[in-house]
Amino acid sequence: IRSAGGRTGAMGPAPAAQHLRRAAAEPEVVKPALEDRVQGEKKMASRKRPRAGSPAEGLLQPVKLSREELYKEPTNEELNRLRETEILFHSSLLRLQVEELLKEVRLSEKKKDRIDVFLREVNQRIKKVPSTPEAELTDQTWLPAGVRVPLHQVPYAVKGSFRFLPPAQVTVVGSYLLGTCTRPDINVDMALTMPREILQDKDLLNQRYFRKRALYLAHLAHHLAQDPLFGSVRFSYANGCHLKPLLLLRPHGKDERLVTVRLHPCPPPDFFRPCRLLPTKNNVRSAWYLGQSHPGDEPPTPHYNTWLLRDTALESHAQLLSAVLSSAQGLKDGVALLKVWLRQRELDRGLGGFNGFLISMLVAFLVSTRKIHTTLSGYQVLRSVLQFLATTDLSVTGISLCPSAESSLPALADFHQAFPVVFLDSSGRLNLCADVTASTYHQVQHEARLSMVLLDSKADDGFQLLLMTPKPMVRSFDHILHVRPVSRLQAACHRLKLCAELQDSGGDYVSAVLGPLMTLLEQGLGSRLQLLAHSRPPVPEWDINQDPPKHKDSGALTLGLLLQPEGLASVLQLGPEADQPEAADFRRFWGSRSELRRFQDGAIREAVVWEAASLHQKRLIPHQVVTHLLALHADIPDACVHYVGGFLDALIQGPKEDGFVFRIRVAYQREPQILREVQSPEGVVSLRDTPAALRLERDTKHLPLLTSALHGLQQQHPAFSGAARLAKRWVRAQLLGEGFTDESLDLLAAALFLHPEPFTPPSSPQVGFLRFLSLVSTFDWKNNPLIVNLNNELTAEEQAEIRSGFLAARTRLPVMVLLTPQDRKSSVWTQDGPSAQILQQLVTLAAEALPILEKQLMDPWGPGDIRTVFRPPLDIYDVLIRLSPRHVPRHRQAVDCPAASFCRGQLREPGPSSLMPVLGFDPPQLYLAQLREAFGDLALFFYDQHGGEVIGVLWKPTSFQPQPFKASIAKGRMVVSQGEEMVMVPNVEAILEDFAVLGEGLVQAVEARSERWTV
Amino acid sequence: MVARGRKRAAGDPEGRLTSPPGYSAIPIKFSEKQQASHYLYAREHRVRQGAQSSWPQKRTLFVLNVPPYCSEECLSRLLSPCGAVQSVELQEKPDLAESSKEPKSKFFHPKPLPGFRVAYVVFQRPSGVAAALTLKGPLLVSTESHPVQSGIRKWIDDYVDSVADPEALRVEVDTFMEAYDKKVAEEEAKAKEEDGVPDEEGWVKVTRRGRRPVLPRTEAASLRVLERERRKRARKELLNFYAWQHRETKMEHLAQLRKKFEEDKQKIELLRAQRKFRPY
Repeated sequence: IRSAGGRTGAMGPAPAAQHLRRAAAEPEVVKPALEDRVQGEKKMASRKRPRAGSPAEGLLQPVKLSREELYKEPTNEELNRLRETEILFHSSLLRLQVEELLKEVRLSEKKKDRIDVFLREVNQRIKKVPSTPEAELTDQTWLPAGVRVPLHQVPYAVKGSFRFLPPAQVTVVGSYLLGTCTRPDINVDMALTMPREILQDKDLLNQRYFRKRALYLAHLAHHLAQDPLFGSVRFSYANGCHLKPLLLLRPHGKDERLVTVRLHPCPPPDFFRPCRLLPTKNNVRSAWYLGQSHPGDEPPTPHYNTWLLRDTALESHAQLLSAVLSSAQGLKDGVALLKVWLRQRELDRGLGGFNGFLISMLVAFLVSTRKIHTTLSGYQVLRSVLQFLATTDLSVTGISLCPSAESSLPALADFHQAFPVVFLDSSGRLNLCADVTASTYHQVQHEARLSMVLLDSKADDGFQLLLMTPKPMVRSFDHILHVRPVSRLQAACHRLKLCAELQDSGGDYVSAVLGPLMTLLEQGLGSRLQLLAHSRPPVPEWDINQDPPKHKDSGALTLGLLLQPEGLASVLQLGPEADQPEAADFRRFWGSRSELRRFQDGAIREAVVWEAASLHQKRLIPHQVVTHLLALHADIPDACVHYVGGFLDALIQGPKEDGFVFRIRVAYQREPQILREVQSPEGVVSLRDTPAALRLERDTKHLPLLTSALHGLQQQHPAFSGAARLAKRWVRAQLLGEGFTDESLDLLAAALFLHPEPFTPPSSPQVGFLRFLSLVSTFDWKNNPLIVNLNNELTAEEQAEIRSGFLAARTRLPVMVLLTPQDRKSSVWTQDGPSAQILQQLVTLAAEALPILEKQLMDPWGPGDIRTVFRPPLDIYDVLIRLSPRHVPRHRQAVDCPAASFCRGQLREPGPSSLMPVLGFDPPQLYLAQLREAFGDLALFFYDQHGGEVIGVLWKPTSFQPQPFKASIAKGRMVVSQGEEMVMVPNVEAILEDFAVLGEGLVQAVEARSERWTV
Repeated sequence: MVARGRKRAAGDPEGRLTSPPGYSAIPIKFSEKQQASHYLYAREHRVRQGAQSSWPQKRTLFVLNVPPYCSEECLSRLLSPCGAVQSVELQEKPDLAESSKEPKSKFFHPKPLPGFRVAYVVFQRPSGVAAALTLKGPLLVSTESHPVQSGIRKWIDDYVDSVADPEALRVEVDTFMEAYDKKVAEEEAKAKEEDGVPDEEGWVKVTRRGRRPVLPRTEAASLRVLERERRKRARKELLNFYAWQHRETKMEHLAQLRKKFEEDKQKIELLRAQRKFRPY
């Protein structure tokens, strides 16, 4: 259940066919299908926990408490809890939710005990690893054959010698000790202090320390790998830094996934002089690294120095954190929540990620500056940290944990010079954010700001959106850009003259080029861009008998563009006036694209004009900008850039040649009211809803209101129409279109723009569509109305009122409830469908389509066939009726657009006939109406009204049960003798022939595909 | 499946068709080309004693399971060899009364789509019923001499029919409105006549059209009055004036919190059941 459930929440993994099968079985019963999606999970849950009675059916009930229960004298305990909730959390629901979440991510005591046992074992084994005799660093013949040095030794020649001695000390550091480690990945960090005898004074130069560190691990790995205690012994990198490998140990057998112990070798305390590791110092000599000495001063190596410094500070950081966190449960909870928050946003991964350690240090900083008090609750800590992140730009004003202002310490400015983001530890010399790029930090800030808005809005589902909703890149950003192969970035490094940075990063060209590349693109995209983010190279793991992976193995560099809808429409990039000195810079930046132009006000300016005629092309201008700039400045050719922005647009390009027909309806405002009037025998006129009144009101009152609201929305968010059309196209391509009115799908799409949390409103149809799939598949339709707050008319209180009204009236409402400010109770657009089964089928299909499509879009080598998720599964139907395309009027709108089609309903020359042009003549729809009328009791019919060439038919199993003869059910059935009895069964053969008779001329073939209806 | 199905459909070996007691089965097909048949189940129309039926006794044949492509005319033609047919009526479900013969407007009441229906066939003589019950069939709906349209051709014809003739539409609407205006005028005249005139017990009926306007007799109006009254009362009441009131307000607040807490607990239970607290 987890594999399919996981992210898609409660939507069970039952295959598509089953749902529809059920759909055919119980067309009138509303409850079952939605109900049993929790069934499977319930089974699992119930095994673990005893559960309260009422929600067992998976349906929220209005709470009924007896008077006695409501008005009994409160106990002190109860009053305290209520008061605490009011002060520390913003509602009791939030408090309960946070408590549940923490329970879920926290490590249980039982597991802790098992881990402790394992750690003691590890400690003993490490101490028993035998020593080796001394050898030159370049002489690595002593290493056994089964293990490779986990480091790229480039250049190989380096002075110094190495021998292995068991560690002087083994200490557990990091989150495990603090009690802030969160599931699912439980890591325990162990610092191994290497004995002084191994190290030499000058080891901080030219990667010598790192070489020794790697050799130390290699020897350790070889010996530990032979121990049956461990299920796996592998290498990885510490925080993705490829100069600093570490050893991963996992227990053997059933505990393999319980814990990963990470071994970090580190130097003895105070071994290296910290003043030599300041960000302004050089510790990698050009003569050694490049083979030629640097003209002038050696360039500083701030990153190299930081990596080394960090090893020396492992223990002091652990002590600091334990001093701050250990006594305060609220702080620990806060850190755990923040880790979940970062994880859902994929911010904590890879080199330069904003990981749990950083966030813990940030909490420590806020405690030290008294912005957080130790008595705060976890929720308040989360809030305070987000508030701090949202309002503090560490790339401009760095912060420091160091209390003293000694003159011997370097200035913050020095750090700002060397690093994009500055957060110094308590020593005042180590920048904890050294690897964090400005883009990553701005992304964190962006997320923090969004989250603060969400928290302040007091939305009911704030918790869900804040902490439980994953934000994968492809769903968060409007456009995605892959640069591949990554090795191309090496050339970019040279073009951008990043030699010194390469020397600093030990040849990691990906991280060296990231900063300058992002700056370049941010400048070029200018006002079109809201946020530019990059993927962080993943942290690899490899076997000890393999060489460490190369940089180019990290796949692709992926960038995410969050677009600014206001900036998208312009095709012009206005530069400075021609005679200004900045004009030269502008020309240099834009290269051949920059041209002199004379404007209406008489000014002659440099300008760049992009070619784009339609809105959809304008939306893709960033593509032109990016490829142009990358080719011009970074030597990355067009072929190496894969831009994902407009693949789905092809699906919603309508045929151009068709004209419009306007349908005029006469409406009288009071007519629905008149239709409602009922006169009682006493002569009192009262108003009662009648189907005719509701229908008329829908068409003459609700529809115009909705149309104008949606029109307004489209003006605000130009991507709305595209997203809505993709959504409709997809639903109908799945042959489920008839269950959903146009308006209901429009409203669903509108919800994505009006309530984008935790995202921002989509600025491209593509991302809108992905979120549509996600919304459909994860929303709890059964227990919640989807409130679409058009024009923002509803206040939070009104929404709460609507929600409680919904619960009370749930059984009388349709399966899918969409409410708007104009329609607060009845959900007019879903009154006639979908049925529970059709909705469930849609939910299942959306849950299946989303990961497929996301994977396709995130594939750096191209999406393959983008129409895959638009093709419906046909194998679930009992009968397929193939239609002749000649009579399918929307043939050209088919998912797989036909190469040739016909001209319909028009004469070349306007003729005299009043019948021309033919309007609204849609044979497949006429055919379907007849089929449903004649065989609606026996079967369900599915069709894609956008040019579908096939109708899917599902027999209803209940109708195929032999039944005793009754005049009222004789329709389409025949009497057969079954043993002694006379029973009625559907006359399937005749019906199949009827399918062809009723659709003569339209039907090409009737394929009976299954044999399930034989009795 | 097809093979198994056929075996079952054919009835017993002598070729007699299986039919429910009291009915006889008559196979019917659209045309020569079709392999399988539907079966009409027919019997003489009879009603239980005491029940009223507008169909003539003895002469009416009651037919079940008439396929959608078989119209009244068509059924009449198919059964005429058994005896002269007086009338055929197709209905959604069995109905003892003949439907009203009033013609419906083709503009405002489009023809309903046909499904499988029941038919009441009235023969001129009782012998027709008896003959029909022994029909062997299969009856063919569409033959070369009397082709029946279906599919595309039928829809095209329907489309042509559906294009409204503006003049005919206008005439129909005008006629309707004239009749309506006349009816309203008559009613008004009658009301005016009765206005202020006491009936035999001396009661005077007060109407909307009287000299003095009165409150309209609608539900909405009475609700409005009640609401106004309630508001007036609420204005006069003092809040939190007495100690007991204060106590009660507090208790009410607590009760609200308790209720909310219970609701929240229920929500949590549900989410937990759905495993909604796993952030991974």
